[in-house]
Amino acid sequence: MEQEIRACLDQKRYQEAFDRLLPEFQNKVFRLAYAMLGDAALAEDMAQEVFIRIWKALPGFRGQSALSTWIYAIVRNTCLTALKKGAVKRESSLEEPNVARAAEEAGVPPARHAEIDVLRFLDQLPERHRQVLRLYYMEERSYEEVARLLEWPMGTVKTYLHRARKELAELVARSKMEKGTG
Amino acid sequence: MACAEFEERLLEYAELANGERARVDAHAAHCSTCREFLEALRTVDSQLTAQLAGIEVTPAFAPAVRRRVRYEGSAAPPSAVPELLDFVGWGAIVALLGLIAWWLVPLAHISNTELAGSFNAPYAAAGAFLLAALLIGIRSFADLKH
Repeated sequence: MEQEIRACLDQKRYQEAFDRLLPEFQNKVFRLAYAMLGDAALAEDMAQEVFIRIWKALPGFRGQSALSTWIYAIVRNTCLTALKKGAVKRESSLEEPNVARAAEEAGVPPARHAEIDVLRFLDQLPERHRQVLRLYYMEERSYEEVARLLEWPMGTVKTYLHRARKELAELVARSKMEKGTG
Repeated sequence: MACAEFEERLLEYAELANGERARVDAHAAHCSTCREFLEALRTVDSQLTAQLAGIEVTPAFAPAVRRRVRYEGSAAPPSAVPELLDFVGWGAIVALLGLIAWWLVPLAHISNTELAGSFNAPYAAAGAFLLAALLIGIRSFADLKH
């Protein structure tokens, strides 16, 4: 698909390139934005901004990197700018309407039936741990995909993931214990 | 906190070979801390997988993007700035190499002493080098900003 999009770009058929690129990358762009921002509705708005930026910048794409690498860099830059502006402040949970709506679309069971809403504990982890964890589970536990999307070395991804899962498991264990004794 | 000896293996429980997993299970059977940690890890994995795996944009997303693209009009023409910076940057590199060559192999009919009064080759070379580095840096930054 990437080659077909590049062929369109080479022939300056930007609209056609964009029409192919949008369905191909919309979910990856959304997931990366969600991993970085922690809010599904905001991530979808951000993904829209990203695609508008892509549309405007398409003629300037020089093909020095893979198209996906270029797109993911735009997502990261856009999200980092939003984070610096303080547009994102809290962790979402599936119990919140924004995430619930996105989850419902994806056929995800609602979290309120679960004993503990693990997603809520993410708030207590460092930013990078949260990002890598969200992406790891969104990308169906693929270390390679997480490394590719965040453009981190594989070793870094594994290290952060181990620490993040450990911290989260300890929080969950403590909460279970408190519920058990409380 | 799980036992230090087993913590790493508990975190990689799903990827362990059968023999190793049996060892971890045997330990967890009589160590309540590790058992609770493993149970908590399973809760984390199952819940986050159920809630996040394969999450997708809403069906309204693509139509909304297309509407905005129509509103934005045609894609912007490519900027000539990166090419210009490339040209100047490479020009500076060529100039730098020329200066180094001139400095190392002086022309036979002009002595270095005669030139030293009017032109300082090492400073010029350093200046050209810094200019090249600066321009290539700006160029790389422009690429990243895309």
